[in-house]
Amino acid sequence: MAGLSRIRYGRAFVLLLTGAYFLVPLACAVAFSIGAGTPGRSIGFGAYTGVLGAGGFTDSLTLTLKLAAATIALVLALLVPALVTVRLAAPRLRTLVEIVCMLPLVVPAVALVAGISAVLRWGPDHFAGTPVFQALAALQDQNFPFVLVLAYTLMALPLAYRTLDAGIAAIDLRMLVEAARACRAPWPRTLLQVVLPNLRGALLNTAFLTLALVLGEYTVAAILGYQPFAVWILAISGSQAQMSVAVSVMGLLVTWVLLLVVATAGRAHHPKETS
Amino acid sequence: MTDLVSDLTPLSPARTGATVEFRGLRRAFGATTALDGLDLTVEPGELVALLGPSGCGKTTALRTLAGFERPDSGEVLVDGEDITGVPAHRRDAGMVFQSYSLFPHLTALDNVAFGLRMSGIRTAERRARAAELVELVGLPHHTGHYPHQLSGGQQQRIALARALALRPRVLLLDEPLSALDAQVRLTLREEIRRIQQQLGITTLFVTHDQEEALSMADRVAVMRAGRLEQCAPPAELYERPATAFVAEFVGVMSRIPARPGADDGTVHVLGRSLPVSGRLPGTGAAGGTGDVDVLVRPEAVEVTADENGTSRITGAAFLGATSRLTVRLANGAEVAADVPTHAMTRLPVGAAVTLTLAHRPVLVDRRRASGGAGS
Amino acid sequence: MSAIPTAAGGSSRPRSAGRSAGLGPARRLRPPRLTGWLGVVPLLAFTVVVFGLAFGTMVFGAFTTPETAPGGVHLTGANMSASVHGAYLTSLIGSVKLSAVSALIATVVGLPIAHVIVTSRFRALRRAVLAGSGVLANFGGVPLAFAFVATLGNAGVLTHRFHLLSHGWSLYGFWGLTLVYLYFLIPLMVLTLTPALEGLRRQWCEAARNNGANTFRYWAHVALPLLTPSLLGGYVLLFGSAFSAYATAAAMVGSSVPLVTMQIADALSGNVLVGQGNVALALGVDMVVVAGLVMAVQLPLQRRSARWLA
Repeated sequence: MAGLSRIRYGRAFVLLLTGAYFLVPLACAVAFSIGAGTPGRSIGFGAYTGVLGAGGFTDSLTLTLKLAAATIALVLALLVPALVTVRLAAPRLRTLVEIVCMLPLVVPAVALVAGISAVLRWGPDHFAGTPVFQALAALQDQNFPFVLVLAYTLMALPLAYRTLDAGIAAIDLRMLVEAARACRAPWPRTLLQVVLPNLRGALLNTAFLTLALVLGEYTVAAILGYQPFAVWILAISGSQAQMSVAVSVMGLLVTWVLLLVVATAGRAHHPKETS
Repeated sequence: MTDLVSDLTPLSPARTGATVEFRGLRRAFGATTALDGLDLTVEPGELVALLGPSGCGKTTALRTLAGFERPDSGEVLVDGEDITGVPAHRRDAGMVFQSYSLFPHLTALDNVAFGLRMSGIRTAERRARAAELVELVGLPHHTGHYPHQLSGGQQQRIALARALALRPRVLLLDEPLSALDAQVRLTLREEIRRIQQQLGITTLFVTHDQEEALSMADRVAVMRAGRLEQCAPPAELYERPATAFVAEFVGVMSRIPARPGADDGTVHVLGRSLPVSGRLPGTGAAGGTGDVDVLVRPEAVEVTADENGTSRITGAAFLGATSRLTVRLANGAEVAADVPTHAMTRLPVGAAVTLTLAHRPVLVDRRRASGGAGS
Repeated sequence: MSAIPTAAGGSSRPRSAGRSAGLGPARRLRPPRLTGWLGVVPLLAFTVVVFGLAFGTMVFGAFTTPETAPGGVHLTGANMSASVHGAYLTSLIGSVKLSAVSALIATVVGLPIAHVIVTSRFRALRRAVLAGSGVLANFGGVPLAFAFVATLGNAGVLTHRFHLLSHGWSLYGFWGLTLVYLYFLIPLMVLTLTPALEGLRRQWCEAARNNGANTFRYWAHVALPLLTPSLLGGYVLLFGSAFSAYATAAAMVGSSVPLVTMQIADALSGNVLVGQGNVALALGVDMVVVAGLVMAVQLPLQRRSARWLA
C-alpha cells in the first residue's frame, strides 16, 4: 500500500514539474503581453486589440494561411496516392518511398535554403530569356512565393509520411478496397468514398501538423526575404514587444486547440477497443 | 525419459506441492463484480482447472493468487499461511501467461534464468539450471533463440520453463494454450500435464475450453459470475452436474419439457415419472404452472422407430461413431439425441419415433423463455 | 526542425502485410500494373526535382569557386576547408555542444514524463499533452523564444519579479538557450517515446514480478533495456532537431552562443564578406554530413525497437 501511494505521489510530482515548466512561460508571456509584471507599464489589452490594425499583420497572416493551404494540398496530393499505391499495388516500392520521405531530415532547413537560394541566384544568369527564367521568377512572386510552398512541402514530408502511414496501417486498406471492388465500385469511387473517409483522422492530423509547421516556420522565409507570419512577429518585436509576444502565444494556443479538436473528433469516430 | 526424471530431482526436492485456499474472495472493478465470494481449496499436487465463460472471474482469481490483483475482501492462503498482503515479487507462484510474455530482448535461456538472476544465483549455476529446465520442456536446441525466432508453442514452452525456474510451490497457467493452433494445443496439453505430474506441483489452470479442462485436470472448478458453481473430478462433473449451468456449460444438454410430478421430488417427462436429482427449482415461485425442463445428455435419450410415435426426426448430423439427431416433439420442442451411426439406417430424417429416458434421477431447470415449446 | 513522430504515431508496421489472398479474384481487384506505379510518380518526381536541384546545387557550390572569382568556376576544396576552420569551426562545435547537451537533458527528463502520460488514467490529459507536444515540436522556434524572452529575458516577468539579473542570470547564454531548446525537445521526446512505451506489454511487468523482480529491477532489467533503442534513437533525433534549429536562436537577438545555422544565415544574407556564399554552402554540406550520421545511427535503432515493441 505504501508503495502504491509513493508511486502516485511520484506521478503527481512529475506532472506538476512538467506542468510548471510548460505552462509558466506561457502564463508569463500572457502576463507580459497585457503589461502585468513589468514595471512602468499599465495593464491593458492593447496588444491584443491592436493586432488587427497593426501594419503588416493581415498581409503576413493571409500570406501564411495561403502558403499553408497550398502546402497541405501539395503534401496530401503527393503522399496519399503514393502511400495507397505502395500498400495496394507496389509493396516493393515501400522502402524507396520511405527513404525519399525521410531524406529532408538529413538536410536541415538552413542547408536547404542555402541550396535553394543558390539555385535562385544562379538560375537567372544561365537561363535568361528562356521559359525557365520566367518560371523561376514566378516562383519568387512576392504576393505568393511558390518557392516557399515547395520548401515547406519538402520539410513537411517526413512528418506527414509518418502520420499518414500510421493511419493507413491502422485500417485494413486491402480488405476495404477489395470489399468495395467486390461491390463493383469503380476505382475512383473506391478511393474517394471508401479509402479517404477511413483516413479522415490521419488526413486531418497531417493537415494540422503541417499547418503548425508553416505557421511557425521562420528560417526559409526569412533567409529568402519574404514576410509571412513568423517573420513578421520577429520584425515587430523591436518596436512592439508586447504585441509580438501576444501574437506568438495566440498562435501556439490556437494551433493546439485545433489539433486537440482533431484528436478528439478522431477518437470519437474510431472508438479504441478496450481489451 | 526415466533419466530425465532423475535429473530433475534436484529441481524440486520437496516434491509435494502446497495447499491453496481461496476464502470468500471479493473483487469489483468499478461496476463489474469479478469475484463475488469465491471459496475453493486446491490440494497439494493437484491440477485444478478453473473453467467458465469469459468474465466469470477465473482469471481474476488466478491473478489474485499471483499477487497482481488485490481482493476487496477475503483471503488467499498457501499452506495455511495468509499471503493476501504479500507483494507479487515475493510470492512463491510461477505463472504462465496467455501469450507474448517472454522478454523480447533476452534469449530463451536468459528468459528462463531471469528469476534466478533476480534472486542472485551465480551465473554458472543459473545457466546450468536454466538449461535443465529448457530440456525439461523439450527445447534443448533453442536455448540461444530470441522469442521472435520461436513459434507460439515454443514460446509457451519457454514461458513454462521460466515459471518453474524458481521452484515455486504453485504453478499458475492463464489460458496458456488459447493463442495456439489446435494441433500444438493438443501436444502441449499433454506436455504440461506430464511435467506437472513429474514435479508434483500444485497447479491452477484457467481455461474457457471445457475439453481442455476435462482432459487435463484432476478436478474442474466451474465458475459463474464470480462464484464457484461446482468443483469435481471431470467424470463426476459430466455425469452428475450440480446445477443446470454446469450441466449446460460442460458438454451438450438436451432440454425436454416436463411437468412436476404429484409428489415433490418427481417429474413427469416423456410419459413417465422420474426422480429429480437435487431439488426442483422454482415450482412455487413460478405460480404453480410448473413449467420446467428436464436436462439430459443426448446419449441418454433413447430413440426408437415407432410408426405411432408422436415425435419426428427433423435433422441428423454425422459425428463419427455416433450421429446426433434433432427430434421435434409433439409440442414443438426440439431435443438432441445421440445414436450409434449404424442405427441411422432405421432412423431416416422424417421418421416418426418415440423417445425414452432410462429410469434414473434427472436434473431439472426452470423452463427457458426461448425454449420454443408451444404448449 | 521538423519532427517525425506524431500524436497519431504508433507502429507503422502493416498488420496485413503480405496477406494477398493468392487467389484469382484478388489479382483482378488490383489496379493494372502500369497505373499501379503511377501513384508513386508525382512524389518521386517532386523530390528528385526540388530536393535534387537544391541539394545538388549546394554540393556543387560547396566544392567550386564562386562565379565572381577570377578564373570563373572551378573545383576547389577551399570552401570546405574554410568551413571547418576559425569562426566557422567554433560555430560548428558550439552547435554540436548545445545540441548534445540539450538533447541529453530532454531524453533523461522526457522518459518519466512520457511514462506518466502514457500510463495516465485520464484520457483527456493524455490527448491534451500529445496534441500540445505536436504543436511545440513542430511550431518552430520564434513563438517559443518569445515566450521565454517575456518570462526570463532581460525584461521578463520572472527576471523582474525575482531580480534574476543581479544573480547573474542571462537567457542569452548557453544554459538559457538550452532551457528554450528543451521547450520543443522534451515534447519531441515524449512523442518519440509514446509508441515505444505503449508497446511495453503488461505481461512483461507481471512476468518480471512473478520472477521475483521488484519495480526497480523490472525497470533495470526489462523496461530500460527494451526502451534503449528508442531512447538512443530519440536522443539522436533530438540532436538533429536541435542541431538544425535556427529560428529560436535568431529570435533571441543578442545571443552569445555561436551556432552554425546562424553562420550560414549570415553568410547567405551577405552580412559578412562578399564571396562567402560558397562557404555557406560548404557549411550546409557539413550539416548534412552530421545529420546524415545522425540518421545512419537512428534508423537501425528504430528497426530494432519496432521489432521488440511493435
